[in-house]
Amino acid sequence: MSLNKSWHGRLKVRTTEEQKAQKHKEQQKKLGAYRLGMKQILSTRKPDEYDPTSLSISSQLLSVNPDIYTLWNYRKEVILLRIKQSQKDEIDGEEDLVQFLENELRLTEQCLLANPKSYGSWHHRSWVLMKHPKPNWDNEFMHVWDYRRLIINKIGITLTDELQFSMERLNANFSNYSSWHYRSTLRKLDAKSVGTELTLVQNAVFTDPADSSAWFYLRWVLSNPTVTAEQKQEFLDALDDLEQLEPECKWVIMAKCWLTGSLVLSDKDYIDRRVEYYKKLLKLDPTRKGQYLDYLKAAEEKTKITS
Amino acid sequence: MATLIKDIKLPDNVPSNILFEKHIEFLKEYGQDENNYEYGMMDYLRVSGMYWCLTALEFMNASPSHTIEEVAQYIKQCQDPESGGISACIGHDPHILHTTSAVQILCTYNKLDVIDTEGVVKYIKSLQLPDGSFMGDKWGEVDTRFSFCAVVTLSLLKRMDAIDVHKAVDFVASCKNFDGGFGSRPLSESHAGLMFCCVGFLSITNRLDIVDRDTLAWWLCERQLPSGGLNGRPEKLPDVCYSWWVLSSLTMLGRLHWIDGNALKTYILACQDTETGGFADRPGDVADPYHTVFGLAGLSLLGHKALQKVNPTYCMPQHVIDRLQLKPQILLN
Repeated sequence: MSLNKSWHGRLKVRTTEEQKAQKHKEQQKKLGAYRLGMKQILSTRKPDEYDPTSLSISSQLLSVNPDIYTLWNYRKEVILLRIKQSQKDEIDGEEDLVQFLENELRLTEQCLLANPKSYGSWHHRSWVLMKHPKPNWDNEFMHVWDYRRLIINKIGITLTDELQFSMERLNANFSNYSSWHYRSTLRKLDAKSVGTELTLVQNAVFTDPADSSAWFYLRWVLSNPTVTAEQKQEFLDALDDLEQLEPECKWVIMAKCWLTGSLVLSDKDYIDRRVEYYKKLLKLDPTRKGQYLDYLKAAEEKTKITS
Repeated sequence: MATLIKDIKLPDNVPSNILFEKHIEFLKEYGQDENNYEYGMMDYLRVSGMYWCLTALEFMNASPSHTIEEVAQYIKQCQDPESGGISACIGHDPHILHTTSAVQILCTYNKLDVIDTEGVVKYIKSLQLPDGSFMGDKWGEVDTRFSFCAVVTLSLLKRMDAIDVHKAVDFVASCKNFDGGFGSRPLSESHAGLMFCCVGFLSITNRLDIVDRDTLAWWLCERQLPSGGLNGRPEKLPDVCYSWWVLSSLTMLGRLHWIDGNALKTYILACQDTETGGFADRPGDVADPYHTVFGLAGLSLLGHKALQKVNPTYCMPQHVIDRLQLKPQILLN
């Protein structure tokens, strides 16, 4: 079991026999070089010393393919050796090590620019920074969310600053699921913050009702127990207005289901309305009819009980 | 400002069925020639690759090009005698991903006796951290994928007692997000591949009660796009491997009927390469064993009669899971 990245999104291209033969020749050359390189590295791998030529070959191989995980392991072993060496030299030891590790960071940077999803490169980079005597956390990888979290912990950015940053990101582009996710992780919602969040979502869904991201966030905010009945009613009224403008938008109807359903409000009037909403969803979004039928059945049963 | 849904258009002539002969030929050729470029260059994922190819052939009731004994002997040579872990290929380092794939293959072939299974148990146990999480290998990368691998492997070996299951569950639970989904570490974004890992993990540990069932099933069924294909996260393109990650999760949650099975079936069939055989991520892309096994597994979950029944938790033939008398938790509708 693995989530493999090398095989995604490669468009098939038609080639002539001649092109095929040429390609085959080139591939065999590459394969030969790869095997020779791996053999050189693995045969010189020792616990107490390392071969600079092998180290340099491993950079070349990783730049082409950062998923060769054994090579990252090999480089970590070399780093551990360098750390040991640096401790023996009181005068230049640290400076030499810093130079060495900076070079290592450059390699991961190069790999990540070519292949931003490479797990091996990300792990190696964080591992190196943890071993670095003078890590520089202020670098260009702040836009990568998981990495940002790591850096923020290290340099201590305040929550207010992060909330502001997240707000700016969302205002620039509401249609960014990662930004909404990131915002959800910043703090626990309370009576004070739910109001701000509801306003933010309302702006987003009115800007582009067809974009799914903000609706996922809305469902989460609404599930918070501190949302008041008044706030729910206000949101429901706003959605009624939005439905006038966008009668075919399934998300508006879905959100009305949450607001009138088990998540929030439930009395006879709302149950009847919900039956209508699910019938409408069945028409608007037949792909997910199984889901709506389940809910419709539940709502109809409730209608029977209450009437 | 209107949002354009990211999706693809299906080609006009989608095959109406599975191209069995082509796929079998495609998979058998993989690994037959030592000097095949892709096979040679991808040695760093070979044992997992063997799991994809061999399992895909099993689903189609076809035999591999190598004998079971040859496969088992190769895996044996990949086991590190010191740590007990299994590597991607001979000479490379052990890793939990390949250890799991190896145990899955050997269970399917009923050949566990060729490796040192106690060594494997020791290896998995050594990768658990005090917070319950699992590392991929001794170098410390933590991911919920590895939690899943740990319990798949140990449950197949009937040695779940070797780890702290309680803490392992706590860690996975701490990776639950606002959308009901799971990420690779606490606070990391939800992703359908990790959903399979975390839901599968909870299915094996019998703790599906932790899942926010309807919220998660809603997130999962919203992955289906107008083309019929499924994506792995909002705003992304469809990909055949998500037919497996999403569909198996929905099956474990008893909500398979929340997506349009026929539309998905058409999408998966459209990803077949009618010339070379095999499935690609999207129609017109290059086919590979990884998308082939998950395409077939998806079709099996959708009830394709000519395929072996697949177990949604293990992605292995159901008859193997039955033979091992394993009963991973599955919620009924």
